[in-house]
Amino acid sequence: MSVLWLRTAAALYFCGLVYALVYLFRKRTRLFNPALIAFAAGTVFHLVSLVELHAETGHLPLNNFYETSSLCAFLIAVFFLGAYSYYRISIFSVCLFPLVFFMTLIGATEFPVASWSSQQVRSIWLTIHIATVLIGYASLVFSAVASLYYLLQERQLKRKSVSPSANRLPPLATLDRVITQSMNTGFVFITIGTVTGVVWAFIESGTRWIAEPQIGFFLFTWVFYLAMIFLRVSAGWRGRRIAWLAVSVLGCSIITWATHFGLGNLVSR
Amino acid sequence: MRLALAGINHHTAPVQLREKLAFRVEDLPAALLQAQARGAKEALILSTCNRVEIAATLNENIPAETLLEGLLAGRDDISPDLLRPHLYLYEEAAAIRHLFRVASSLDSMIVGEPQILGQLKQAYAVARDEGAIGTILEAVLSRAFSVAKRIRSETEIGQSAVSVSYAAVELAREIFGSLNKKRVLIVGAGKMSEATARHLLRAGAAEILITNRTQQRAEELAGLFHGEVIPYELFPQRLGDADILISSSAAPGYLLTRDLIRTAIEARRNQPMFLVDIAVPRNIDPAVNDLEHAFLYDIDDLQRLSERNLQTRREIAEQAEAIVDEEVARLEARLRVRDVAPTIVSLQEELEALRKDVLSRYRPRLGSLTADQEEVLDALTRGIINKVAHGPISELRRQAADAQRNAVPLQEGEFVSVVRRMFRLRDR
Repeated sequence: MSVLWLRTAAALYFCGLVYALVYLFRKRTRLFNPALIAFAAGTVFHLVSLVELHAETGHLPLNNFYETSSLCAFLIAVFFLGAYSYYRISIFSVCLFPLVFFMTLIGATEFPVASWSSQQVRSIWLTIHIATVLIGYASLVFSAVASLYYLLQERQLKRKSVSPSANRLPPLATLDRVITQSMNTGFVFITIGTVTGVVWAFIESGTRWIAEPQIGFFLFTWVFYLAMIFLRVSAGWRGRRIAWLAVSVLGCSIITWATHFGLGNLVSR
Repeated sequence: MRLALAGINHHTAPVQLREKLAFRVEDLPAALLQAQARGAKEALILSTCNRVEIAATLNENIPAETLLEGLLAGRDDISPDLLRPHLYLYEEAAAIRHLFRVASSLDSMIVGEPQILGQLKQAYAVARDEGAIGTILEAVLSRAFSVAKRIRSETEIGQSAVSVSYAAVELAREIFGSLNKKRVLIVGAGKMSEATARHLLRAGAAEILITNRTQQRAEELAGLFHGEVIPYELFPQRLGDADILISSSAAPGYLLTRDLIRTAIEARRNQPMFLVDIAVPRNIDPAVNDLEHAFLYDIDDLQRLSERNLQTRREIAEQAEAIVDEEVARLEARLRVRDVAPTIVSLQEELEALRKDVLSRYRPRLGSLTADQEEVLDALTRGIINKVAHGPISELRRQAADAQRNAVPLQEGEFVSVVRRMFRLRDR
């Protein structure tokens, strides 16, 4: 039963994730309050599931990675709600909503479900996963290229070696906008890709999936990406720092990619 | 008497030195007096962002080097030795040529920019009010103004002129792309900032904020651009509102420090800020350029930038130089004739007085004469003095013309003074 509550909680947290993604593109979105209510409701279900798990097993739900992840997500959610009710700072939600959702999602994969309902669903699911991840990577590459241009243009302007009539690089502000938009787009798709990927791996490999290195890298890249988006949105990071981060995230993604094809094979051998 | 000119400009001295040497308008009268006290008959001081120069007429025995002291009068913090490597000295034709080139903006940081003529006219007005302008500077400067006008109308120097402000607009585009919705803050409401603001508005800037030490001038400018006036004491708090900042305040020392700009950028949530420092001495701490998101350009930077697409303007400048050559030669000729002209006139007057004197003494002895006889007598005496004067006068003219043809200064004090002594001509 506890797994059902946990999955309900994850579904409610998912509303928070949607809010965070929408916020990247529309700063004035009114979705925050509905998302907050869903998130709080999710936390309640999360609590119920934890209590029930405790009742079933007779000890704290810290038995394995899944349970730890779930409990940790719950604590983060509680801290967030506490801080929000006291300080009314909503900006943390952009970072924490997605994080709590993912950690809960991972926690909810402790008990394997039955396999795919049909082969067709499986292949569609896989297609969605691969397509979204690829679109995400494409955006990320775009963002990294724009970042390199940004760094070049910024350097020229700082060193006063720019010559407006001969310069082919776009204006700094335009590059900054391109970086932001492609980065946000990339984040949305990679997030969807990650959700579908986690679910896929969970159904395909049962509880073993979490130990696979490429998944670990993938999640690490995603968290890195999330941190970058958060710094951008909350701390107003832009320009040179974001450009370097974008290039680093791309680097991470390339490693993730490599683990899927090369490293993954090496490790499993 | 000879014309001499000394100074430093953007070709010879870095902005750090120029800003040290620049005169404030209120200090000019005292400096002109100083120059006169050191032996200059006439003097003019031109002090702009890009040049500080003094033009003067000196007696033969005063070395042109004296002008350097004139420039430095009352400035104990600059030693002549510091200045000397950057200094240029011109005399006579070279000085005239230089003034013509300055007036027509051929010597400007950005060739063809129109502001220098106004600045020269202002320097002239100040010197004239101080009584420092005499016949030679008057002749040279009024000619310089018309040469500038002639060059502007006969060549395309004006059309192709890309002023500092234009370079600033181009750079703003490199940073912001479109200037729509961009706010411009003007610190110090001078002519340069006015021109820059006009360019920026034309390029699409949304709003102009103006602050100036004298509120009235800020309000005038604000009226021109429908801008907002910010009280001078309060402007540091509004720095964050400015996407583009144009600074041309006459304040000494750095008005905008690194800390001020850092706070402003934080307030702007790291949106880039473009700072243009067209003031000499500079208003903005150069260390500001090390801040992320701050792009600081001073007047030297803007010059280097606009030099790159200067090729066509160079060709136009060549036509202009030809006009300058022609005008220098013409004015020199006039000045040389003027050198001998007073001697010729007083020689003629002296002889005429002599004739009248002698005639009035001997005329009574001749008794009554007919009108015709009177006329003959007059023609006779006049003929004699004209014949006597003809030799020296034509020799004077010939020498002046020779000097002009060979481009050597007229040896005043040789032939001219011999003639004056021979005929006992009084100094007039």
